[in-house]
Amino acid sequence: MVRTTVVGTYPRIGDTFEEQSLRRAIGRFDKGEIDASQLQAAEREVTKAVLREQNDAGIDVVTDGQISWYDSQSHIARKIRSVEITGLARYFDTNTYYRQPLVSGPVAWDGPILEDEWTFAQSVSTAPVKAVLTGPFTLASLALDTHYGNKEKLAADLASALAEETSALVKAGARHIQIDEPALTLHPKEVRLALEGLETIAARRGSATLTLFTYFGEVSKILKDLESSPADLLGLDLVQGAKTWDVLAKSGSDKPLVLGVIDARNTGREDPKDVAKRVLTLDGKVDLRSSYLSPSNGLEFLPRDKAREKLRILVDAAKHAGVGP
Amino acid sequence: MTALLTTSVGSLPKPEYLIRARAKASKGDLSRDELRTLEEKATADWIRFQDEIGIDIPVDGEQYRGDMATYFAENIRGTVISGLVRSYGNRYYKKPIITDELRLNGPISVDWFRFAQGLTSKPVKGMITGPYTMMDWSFDEYYGSREETCLAFARLLHEEAVALRQAGAKIIQVDEPALSTRFEELPLLVKAVGIVTKGLGTKTILHTCYGNYDAIFEYFNKLPVDQLDLEMSNSGLDLLERFKREPLTKEIAFGVVDVHSHVVEPVDLIRERIEKALTIFEPDRLYIDPDCGLKTRTVEEAQAKLRNMVAAAKAVRQAHRLT
Repeated sequence: MVRTTVVGTYPRIGDTFEEQSLRRAIGRFDKGEIDASQLQAAEREVTKAVLREQNDAGIDVVTDGQISWYDSQSHIARKIRSVEITGLARYFDTNTYYRQPLVSGPVAWDGPILEDEWTFAQSVSTAPVKAVLTGPFTLASLALDTHYGNKEKLAADLASALAEETSALVKAGARHIQIDEPALTLHPKEVRLALEGLETIAARRGSATLTLFTYFGEVSKILKDLESSPADLLGLDLVQGAKTWDVLAKSGSDKPLVLGVIDARNTGREDPKDVAKRVLTLDGKVDLRSSYLSPSNGLEFLPRDKAREKLRILVDAAKHAGVGP
Repeated sequence: MTALLTTSVGSLPKPEYLIRARAKASKGDLSRDELRTLEEKATADWIRFQDEIGIDIPVDGEQYRGDMATYFAENIRGTVISGLVRSYGNRYYKKPIITDELRLNGPISVDWFRFAQGLTSKPVKGMITGPYTMMDWSFDEYYGSREETCLAFARLLHEEAVALRQAGAKIIQVDEPALSTRFEELPLLVKAVGIVTKGLGTKTILHTCYGNYDAIFEYFNKLPVDQLDLEMSNSGLDLLERFKREPLTKEIAFGVVDVHSHVVEPVDLIRERIEKALTIFEPDRLYIDPDCGLKTRTVEEAQAKLRNMVAAAKAVRQAHRLT
């Protein structure tokens, strides 16, 4: 079978009382009824459950579901020097919000960001856990900046900080690192800037497999640029980014891909056989043996039961596709 | 001349007893009738409060609504309601899932409109969650096309708007918080809202919030409504310069208090904001309201914000001798 992976987020609560433990814990933490270590314990219980769901489904490379992340931007940015976290801003077209980082001085790595979370997740997963970092280009695009006044410089310094973080994660044992750059779907003309950041990060990845992932849209016009990046794998949203599929189907890819073919924004159930058939049309144009299938983006935009269902569809589709390492 | 009329965007906070009652009702521990009684009490309290402080165009406060999209979907055939998904932080909501052709079961919000209008002599706004937002905030397992889904909602919501007018609504507001989600779909939104408001014969309003207003500016005058209701205090005060250069051809409801802050803006600050708005807009085409629905504030915060807003509008009217 083709190997499978996920993109990052996973629903942190479900509809049963037991599945809402974290919601209650955060509520109690906000009221001062439990302390930070108790909240962390609650997060870790959910992380364990989320990893179990992915392990049980048979996903080859999993994530911790980003259960303790407030959002994709502030969770990384809050630990970077000279960044404070401000008000809510709309996150792409998702009807969700993120707390906007405000850069008021030179940014730099101030110490590990995800190491503890990754180490815990790997200790409770039977499959390798991928560490997912929000990319410097996306962080720079979505932050407020009162210091640099120049996105290039901000992105470059963020890339240096994230390169340090990557190195720390690899030293801690991470074999898979993913850099998320959804902002590329909004600003494809700035692809050079994103790739420069990735160069900086790639230099510190050691022997870990590095994935560059774009989602929430298409990247058809910059696909060749992305293939030239120093990442080992290129992750693509092929649902919202259906136009990218058209280019792939025509010209293939020189780089192994993470094919985001399962719709992570809609509850509709794909037929795994249809997905497999479609993926196999790329055989010969894309090295499917080195590639992965995945949802189109993080699964958090779906209710928990539907996210579980999507994992099953994903693995079934990979089985039907047959090819693989 | 009527000038600087005050209003609210739509939702108002639910009192503690109603929040508890809704939780009980969702577990089956409270009957629908018992819940309805409490919802009516809360609605009546809000109407009385708005009358007391002198709001010109009251709202029913949506005490009976949970999520604005789900409330409408629950009353439309062809949908089921999903499990919880996260909005941000520790906030979650349920989304409609479209599983079949959308059809109206009958009027959705008319009953509550009648109830609220029966309690006041002021004109209560009829409130509709717009077709684009209904589409964007639903999972679609039936139509397979955002456009088709959006237009299907639009046709139903037109029926709802007609029913509201027949029930006596003189002002109908279409809420489209998802308006600026995807710029390339703005023509679809214009078309869909046009279907809802076509031939209504009432005053029509479009409310939106949290958008990149600069990017959607060119569409403001194309929206098929009489009035635009915009969040101005949180993100839009800097838009005024652009309105100076490119005048709005519609009335504007101008948000002057931030609904996401616990801080109750003092009257003087709100006055300043209204004064700024008056440098651009004619007073008879300028309405004063909060940025958005106040449901995320406490009852006390919401009341204090509305009181100060009405006081500020009154002070500006007096200062400019507007009656």
